[in-house]
Amino acid sequence: MAAHTKRYALVIDTKKCINCKACVVACRAEYNVPLAYSRPWLNEETRGVWPKLLAVSQPEQCHHCAHPACVRVCPTGASYQRADGIVVVNECDCVGCRYCMIACPYNARFFREDKGVVEKCDFCVKRLARGELPACVETCPSKVRVFGDLNDPKSRLAELISDREYRLKKPEAGTGPQIYYLM
Amino acid sequence: MKTIEWGFLIVNYLFLGGLSAGLFFVSALATFLYKLEEPSPYTRIARLGALLAPWPVMIGCGLLVFDLGRWYRFYKLFLHLRLVSPMSIGTWLLVFFNLVSLVNCYAWLTAAQRNALFAKLPRALAFLRRFNYDIDPWRRHLAFLGLPISVGVGIYTGVLLGAVQSRPFWNTNLVAQLFLFSALSTGCAVLILGLARRERSVPELKLLYGLDICFMVLEFFIVLPYLIHGQLSVQAVQDSLKLILGGPFTILFWVFFLGLGLLTPLVIELLELVPVIVSNREFHYSRPIAAGAALLILSGGFLLRYIFVFAGQMSAIQ
Amino acid sequence: MDRRRFLQFSAGGAATAAVGASLAYMKPFSHPPVKEAERLEIPTTCEMCVNKCSVIAVVENGVIHKLNPNPENPKSRSMLCARGNAGLQQVYDPARLKRPLIRVGARGEGKWRPASWDEAFDLAANKLSETKAKYGPQGTLWSSTESFQEVFFQNLGAAFGSPNAVRHATLCLASVNLAYSLTFGTVPSFDLLNSKYIIMSGANRLEAFITPDTMDLIESAEYRKAKLIYLDPRFTVTASKADEWYPIRPGTDLAFILAMLNVIVTEKRYDKEFVETYTIGFDKLADHVKTFTPEWAEQETEIPAKDILRIAHEFSDAAPRAVYYAGRRSSWYREDFHTRRAQAILNAIVGSWDREGGMVPNGKIALGEYLFLPWDDPAAPRVDEMDKNFPLAAKGDGAYLKLRENVIAGTPYPVKAWMIHKQDPLNALPNQARTLEMVQQMDFIGVVDVQMSDTAWYADVLFPESTYLERTDPVQVLSGITPVVVYRQQVVKPAFDTKTTLEIAQGLAKRLGLSQYFEYTMEQWVDAQVKELHLEAPLEYLKKHGVYVPGDFPKYGTTLNADHRFITKSGKIELYSERLQEAKYDPLPVYHAPPQPPPGKFRLILGRRAYFTHANSTNNPWLNQFAPENRLWLNPAAAESLGVSDGDMVETKSTVGSVRLKARVTQEIRPDCVFMLHGYGKKSKWQRLVADKGGSDAELLETAWDTVSGNASMHETFVSVRKV
Repeated sequence: MAAHTKRYALVIDTKKCINCKACVVACRAEYNVPLAYSRPWLNEETRGVWPKLLAVSQPEQCHHCAHPACVRVCPTGASYQRADGIVVVNECDCVGCRYCMIACPYNARFFREDKGVVEKCDFCVKRLARGELPACVETCPSKVRVFGDLNDPKSRLAELISDREYRLKKPEAGTGPQIYYLM
Repeated sequence: MKTIEWGFLIVNYLFLGGLSAGLFFVSALATFLYKLEEPSPYTRIARLGALLAPWPVMIGCGLLVFDLGRWYRFYKLFLHLRLVSPMSIGTWLLVFFNLVSLVNCYAWLTAAQRNALFAKLPRALAFLRRFNYDIDPWRRHLAFLGLPISVGVGIYTGVLLGAVQSRPFWNTNLVAQLFLFSALSTGCAVLILGLARRERSVPELKLLYGLDICFMVLEFFIVLPYLIHGQLSVQAVQDSLKLILGGPFTILFWVFFLGLGLLTPLVIELLELVPVIVSNREFHYSRPIAAGAALLILSGGFLLRYIFVFAGQMSAIQ
Repeated sequence: MDRRRFLQFSAGGAATAAVGASLAYMKPFSHPPVKEAERLEIPTTCEMCVNKCSVIAVVENGVIHKLNPNPENPKSRSMLCARGNAGLQQVYDPARLKRPLIRVGARGEGKWRPASWDEAFDLAANKLSETKAKYGPQGTLWSSTESFQEVFFQNLGAAFGSPNAVRHATLCLASVNLAYSLTFGTVPSFDLLNSKYIIMSGANRLEAFITPDTMDLIESAEYRKAKLIYLDPRFTVTASKADEWYPIRPGTDLAFILAMLNVIVTEKRYDKEFVETYTIGFDKLADHVKTFTPEWAEQETEIPAKDILRIAHEFSDAAPRAVYYAGRRSSWYREDFHTRRAQAILNAIVGSWDREGGMVPNGKIALGEYLFLPWDDPAAPRVDEMDKNFPLAAKGDGAYLKLRENVIAGTPYPVKAWMIHKQDPLNALPNQARTLEMVQQMDFIGVVDVQMSDTAWYADVLFPESTYLERTDPVQVLSGITPVVVYRQQVVKPAFDTKTTLEIAQGLAKRLGLSQYFEYTMEQWVDAQVKELHLEAPLEYLKKHGVYVPGDFPKYGTTLNADHRFITKSGKIELYSERLQEAKYDPLPVYHAPPQPPPGKFRLILGRRAYFTHANSTNNPWLNQFAPENRLWLNPAAAESLGVSDGDMVETKSTVGSVRLKARVTQEIRPDCVFMLHGYGKKSKWQRLVADKGGSDAELLETAWDTVSGNASMHETFVSVRKV
């Protein structure tokens, strides 16, 4: 079997999200994120006039873009993109200038006052190294998130993207986000 | 989680950095255009600009370092040069600008001032007196070297903001020019403030007024397309402009920045200078008017950066 | 300056830069390599709610770092909800109970002194013995909520000779269990996974807890395109995902079901063969439902008649893969039992029994038992006089609210000592003022808990229990269509001076002369249990996997043969129940229009979130952040009539109490109802996140119970609301 470069991405089926917050708590446990911040978050919206009501909760996190603005603007190279597409912050090199936070169209990053560095979702690289799925993906009761390798046509992720219609968030920012929201 | 990350420290740095760039630029321009050997009235512009130029930017750099999440790691910025990152380029520009403007400042000290400075050194550092060189002949070279760097410092602050697509308020080519000309204008303003004290500064002020008018006219004709094109642009840009068209920054922008900070000093200087040029009369300046115009320009320059830094971070692509 | 000087300058500058750069890469500026943590993965079972999902605890250097789902348990569908993830906070909660405490000062003052276990045991045993001497063993009350070690607590009470054990069922699902038991002889589970048409009354399955049924519903409704009809006065998460949501008038679900029965019977849409073979009483049923037309039901429920008709058609067409979901918490109305009976009957006549997508009797896995000496049956009758008041109800669970009334009145005899395990009656029971009366008239209250609950706050002796991650428990069978055996083993040593319930029971038993009933270790108990499992080395297997899934489930149709005898009086599914008739209850569900709130008042209804378990997790910081306080939900029309805006402070009053909390003006609730989350306005000052924050619904709810089962009725309270 020919080896190929992995390109990790996420498919999210918002319709299935029941806003149970499991992903937020799982990530908090995995990374000891203080309560004031969260790596993934849920965009909640309620619309309509009683009794015709609609409620949606849409999970979101760092989109690990194809052309990440945050990586480009980082003056020390602390924010960098791995070969598999995951955008990571090397805390050793981060000076805390927060330029990346301003450059991110999705406001996916946050500044850790206690550490003086910027942090965000990193697709659980440590778990991936052990062959596990990211915490938010694994813990979800509705299996809202599908994580996988875009370049592997046999992966569930690639199948979904080829079969189903999807939309990206803020594509006009030009960063090439890699979270595919099924429609 | 959209937060305002860059606050007053950054606003102050942008203002101070621009101010230093403007001071150096005008000083360098004066150095080029007038022969040093001949005692020329315009050497006062060059000297004052050179002496003042290093200090605002050095304070600004201090503020920048202090603003970092981990200020003690600022040295990491000097371990990398990333050409795609405006901040990385800016870091190195600042380093060179600081160096050149310090050396330039030293070059414009008179021999008496140099000797006095070295005499003040404590005994432990007395060995440094060996460096009491006269580098006056280097003034033009330093001006030549530092001119593009000062333009760089003035412009890159705008590039820093303009390169961010996710903040539609900033995402335009015009921001770099806007900040540059505003910086140059603030440089002129400080020099006007400094030189307007003397009775015999008439020719200096004539030049400064002239330069300043050029800078402000250019600045105005950048603000105009910024607004017009912005309103004709995509929805995200139009939405972001609402911050100054009815939003929280409206009064600040139109009354205080554009009105009082740009157009009023422009009109004042025009009214002072244009009749003189048209009817070839002698130029008399009024000290309070000069000082007033200069202060208006400075506050306008500060407000420009304040509005842009804060409104910009509040804007977003929906 | 000449060239030489210039070169000297540059060389000096370059040298400085080089030295500086190399310094940066040396200590202390560089970073030492990170030590690889000692990492263990230990499978165990969650205890953050009743559902007991399987987890794998990741322990690094002796500290629990993360709880991951255990993919081997099909019931927890390889997931872990927010509460499960937050479970490790229980261990490291700085406000948890860390050592035995004895009250000094008055009850509720919150003054405690730490005590040794001996002291705590001695004091409790003395008080219990005193009570026994004065009032007999029946003078003690033993109340508990389900847990793997509850059996030891219950055994202690039983061995002590007290008939008064009361459990959580009477506050939760006693009525639905009884209704289905009397109809089918057993309480079935619902094969939602394979259903094609599901009707739910409340039972907000996509929001109120994450249960195995939640997972099934998500799979069938979201992935397999089953149709979900949802009736609820509130626009919940389930309402937002349902195909059709009807904001039904509260308390009228029975009318809806009767109308469905009417349509299905009249139009002969029922499963004739099934009805003839397996049920009795159909003719009486047919006669009974003649008058309950959809048009009549529309008047009662506010659901359009044409929709009721259509739903009845769709439901019967989809049968047997169609279910009217029974619900779990059925502590709603005084007539709740009959509503659930009607559901059972409806499901039965369309043949949704013991078939894929319908109701399915639970599979069984036999566990061994540790045999020890039996004790005598208690001499005295129960203080809540179940035989007299609720002759058909499950005696072992009791009827909590009737029991409370009797204890306060002192009839039929005094009850003066109260032992509590893993329960917070001050919050779990409606009418907190009444519970406090019961508390104050007790001579002694002992509480076994992990945290300082409101009830613990009012107790005399606190026995701190080790959290579920710090102990090994008896093995448990999780029943259902696919039953599994789950194991809970110690993940970390107890962080503080806490004990297991077995150790607490043993400590008390020694001083009460009951040691002979507790002369075993947990290991011995577990060994006896697992012996019956069809496994080579069952304990090693469970320690390694955490769960055992026998391969022979699900089994459909085991009861669908003409010889099968249902555990009912007639041996068949009882559409018409003679037992009910004999006990002087309605043998077929009779509809009584529930009283509606008078103008200016609102019905207080309850419900849960996905990230809280009742009142015991609102103080967990990782969960509390999603709802730091509770607010009173008000429909905008109602709010306007009261002059209340979103965020205003309001006083909510019932006949038994009043609370103050902020208003949440929202479209998500009917104008005649108000709603508030459970577990706030706590009295225990140790629960700092929720003490005096928001309001306690327990203070407002009035005492009411289901007529047949004694199940608390918690939606019968009308409140007034005014801005303050």
